[in-house]
Amino acid sequence: MLRLLRRLEGPQTLGRGPAFWAAFAVVLALAVAYPWFADGYTVGNTAYFFCWVFMALGLCLIWGYGGALSFGQTAFFGLSGYAYGVLTLNVGAAYGFTIAAVVLAVALAAGFAALLGYFLFFGRIGGVFLGIITLSVTLAMERFMAQTAGPDWRIGAARLNGYNGMSGMPPLTVPWFDGDLVLFPDVALYYALLGLLVLTYLGLRILVNARFGNVLVAIRENPERAEMLGYDVRRYQLGAFVIGSALAGLSGTLYTAWGQYITPSSMGLTAAALPVIWVAVGGRGDLTATLVGTLAVLGGFQALTIYGSQYALVVMGLLLVVVVLAAPEGLVVALMRGLARLGRKAPAR
Amino acid sequence: MTRPRNGSRLTALAAALMLGATGAQAADPIKLGVLEDQSGDFAVATIGKVHGIQLAADEINAAGGIAGRKLELVIYDTQSDNTRYQEFMRRVLQRDKVAVVFAGFSSASREAYRPIVDQLDGFAFYNNQYEGGVCDGHMVVTGAVPEQQFSTLIPWMMEKFGKRVYTIAADYNFGQISAEWVRNIVKENGGEMVGEEFIPLGVSQFSQTIQNIQKAKPDILMTLLVGTAQASYYEQAAAANLKVPMGSSVNVGQGYEHKRFQPPSLANMYVTTNYIEEVDTPESKAFLAKWKAKFPNEPYVNQEAENSYHAVYLYKQMVERANGSTKRADLRKVIAAGDVCVDAPEGRVCIDPKSQHVSHTIYLAKVDEKHKISFPKTWTDIKPYWLGQAGCDLTKKDPMAQYTPSNPPKP
Amino acid sequence: MVLLDTVFAFLYQLGDAFAFLVLAACGLAVVFGMMGVINLAHGEFIMCGAYVTVATTRAGLPLPLGILAGALVAGAIGMVLERLVIRHLYGRPLDTIVATWGVSLAATQGTLIVLGSSMPGVGTPLGSFTLGSYSYSTYRVVLMLAALAVLAGLYLAFNATRFGTLARATIQVPHMAEALGVDTRKVYALTFGIGAALAGLTGGLYAPTMTIVPTMGTTFIMEAFVTVVVGGADIFLGTAPAALVLGAVRAGLTSWQGQLFGQIGLLVAVILVIRVLPRGISGLILRERA
Repeated sequence: MLRLLRRLEGPQTLGRGPAFWAAFAVVLALAVAYPWFADGYTVGNTAYFFCWVFMALGLCLIWGYGGALSFGQTAFFGLSGYAYGVLTLNVGAAYGFTIAAVVLAVALAAGFAALLGYFLFFGRIGGVFLGIITLSVTLAMERFMAQTAGPDWRIGAARLNGYNGMSGMPPLTVPWFDGDLVLFPDVALYYALLGLLVLTYLGLRILVNARFGNVLVAIRENPERAEMLGYDVRRYQLGAFVIGSALAGLSGTLYTAWGQYITPSSMGLTAAALPVIWVAVGGRGDLTATLVGTLAVLGGFQALTIYGSQYALVVMGLLLVVVVLAAPEGLVVALMRGLARLGRKAPAR
Repeated sequence: MTRPRNGSRLTALAAALMLGATGAQAADPIKLGVLEDQSGDFAVATIGKVHGIQLAADEINAAGGIAGRKLELVIYDTQSDNTRYQEFMRRVLQRDKVAVVFAGFSSASREAYRPIVDQLDGFAFYNNQYEGGVCDGHMVVTGAVPEQQFSTLIPWMMEKFGKRVYTIAADYNFGQISAEWVRNIVKENGGEMVGEEFIPLGVSQFSQTIQNIQKAKPDILMTLLVGTAQASYYEQAAAANLKVPMGSSVNVGQGYEHKRFQPPSLANMYVTTNYIEEVDTPESKAFLAKWKAKFPNEPYVNQEAENSYHAVYLYKQMVERANGSTKRADLRKVIAAGDVCVDAPEGRVCIDPKSQHVSHTIYLAKVDEKHKISFPKTWTDIKPYWLGQAGCDLTKKDPMAQYTPSNPPKP
Repeated sequence: MVLLDTVFAFLYQLGDAFAFLVLAACGLAVVFGMMGVINLAHGEFIMCGAYVTVATTRAGLPLPLGILAGALVAGAIGMVLERLVIRHLYGRPLDTIVATWGVSLAATQGTLIVLGSSMPGVGTPLGSFTLGSYSYSTYRVVLMLAALAVLAGLYLAFNATRFGTLARATIQVPHMAEALGVDTRKVYALTFGIGAALAGLTGGLYAPTMTIVPTMGTTFIMEAFVTVVVGGADIFLGTAPAALVLGAVRAGLTSWQGQLFGQIGLLVAVILVIRVLPRGISGLILRERA
């Protein structure tokens, strides 16, 4: 146990020592206290942002640590979102079945990722080609789902309902002593997602600082050398791909449960590009940077859309260009490095 | 941070105009949320909808507001993106606490926000022509539906041109359900479907489709194409010299293709619409003059723009008859009376209490070689009858669902 | 006669799909195939070419000159973009994805703000011809010829001119080329400019047949990437056969099962080709020659 906890920091993650963990505790405490001084909408909106972060963290593992850019994480997002819909529409939400549906849907996404990943990594497909194939997969799924509007496209009681999207699935519920607790997009859902997010984040930190993560980074830096050292490159990349895609699937189920709605355009070109943007802007080389960066981009872009009216998309586009040019490792990584430098300099003065 | 903010600069402008027009009033304003796609793929057809709402709001405020309260608009740009509808529908209902929301262009966007409106017990107007079938007490639909557009158009065209019909339709809910309507109405009128083809959204190349149509030799071609990419069909069909009379429920009236394309690519096209700016009545001309005075650069005033405009007046009447209440239950009692009607630029429109859809004047618009519009026929007071006949009765039961002819309400 | 009719109809469809794929891909093939830059703003260069073509043609210029103007303007903008953004990202191909996606967003929405939501078209010239029971658009045959001409022109430009030799040298061994006195920065800038100009040319050529809207570039982009990836690194050996294979898949499936299968079939074909030939079709040809 202690050995595992010691992996919380290490060479593969930024931030170590008491200062970092003190800051982590402060941020976590703020996040826990936050619903008491914000209105219901703000809390629900933050919970909605949390839904997406899992997909970003998964892509960070696959791309940032494993060096394989998947452009089609939305395929797993959509697949497990639809799976959640089909399962809950058929079985209902009683006895906390929605939780079971989340687990099953994520498992389905992981299974599909294992299949696709086997095909990709054991076929030695890498670099840009990996991106194009994964993108093709998600686009093919989008096009297929878009035309399933007819009443004959149904799985049990669940109509796929084409481009208009599947709706009517129940939100997440937790079985409680006096009846089920419904996690409507509000404070309850916020705490549930916050807990899940912290667990995922810490779990991934342990994973990348453990042997698996070190080998993964070695493969990213030089696959031939890693292979010469006796590691089966394909297995490690496949492992990262499956874990990352399962997280994308988790995002998909959470999003579907949040809005009680899932549509083929969640697997389209624009949707597929977004996770890549979040991870790149924050800093793909580090989990903390991805986490912070994703939340910042989600919040920033939404604020721009609200206050920037029709100029929002122009500003967003230019911002991306500037970030890539000015902070190649990502905005958050650059910031954290800068802070660390300041921290080192301060005592010397 | 928690202070409610307006969605855009236009809102601020509108609010300023209201202040200037009516001076200070004691009562709180009635907030009306507007979620429309002012950027992205659908912007062509939807910017006018926002302008329609702004025009109506200005007129109402200049005349003293609704039941003595000013109308305040809260406008967000949804960027043709379903997730933005989900985010902003929550925002207008939870943060801005609007009394009513006017939202949505594509059917997907409506289905994206509808669960949220139902969950948070909001009240929404969908001011768009669509595939029909939404039976939801939280929604009022002011756009035309297939039974209004096809039960008029198809019999008229079959009588004039012949009974062999070919349909090309966008391969998603709107296209598939509309095609189903076409199929049923053609059959009822003793015609024959000689072909049906569904085109995925975003497809812009049509050579094969054009050949298929030439092979089938139909008398009438129903084009139910959606989106700017699919609109390229007309230019390509004209270039290949395909000259079959075309019928549509969605072109011209929504995307004003006759203005955007070089003549004569849309020649011989027949469209049923509840309004377009060419409609030649005194009411329509007066409406257009007001519009051009306020928005001189408007490319076109389409049916959705007019729907959005008269929807504000429908809402005004409901609130005033409910003695100034904006509660959904009170307004639905007013709707249940069955006589919520206004004189819109198109003519008189009334809300059907069973389906909460709106009756329309349907104009048959013909596009000629020079892309000039004429109106060979007009039908007044065409009711949205299908949902009521199929068993949707919102005055009794609120299933909050969307139905189709092949998937009707269960008794 | 009926057979001939059908055969010509299929050939026309094949040629049409082929032309679309070649023209959509040619600019990207230069930029991505030669420079390794993944340009997600490729569609916006196409859009730019189309807008310039339509604007100049409506202002009175003959259509061929309008198309040329579209290509030139797109090429010039491409060189400016290379100077400002792309130049700093060589060797970081994945970062160029983010940057060019940003450019694409800004360009699409900027066009919408400045030029409005749509622009009246210019109409397809040249009319139609009839063969058997079908009539065809003559202009689309011109598009097919243009695709062939672009392929031939590219081959000549990169294999029979001094610039082509320098460009290939720079791209294969940049530091060696630099040591030999080649101004590699200029070569990169010109190559990117040529890619952008080709995209502009495509936009100009298709402008008369399509709706002119700010988002029109997106209908090209998927096909462009698919063709380039299937073609592989060598644009001349790769793009043409890739477009032919994919065009046949597209045209065959579309005429047999409808547009949806044509689209999905294209995507499935790409997955299969990459699985069997990880280096694309040109990789296969080069290996056999070697």
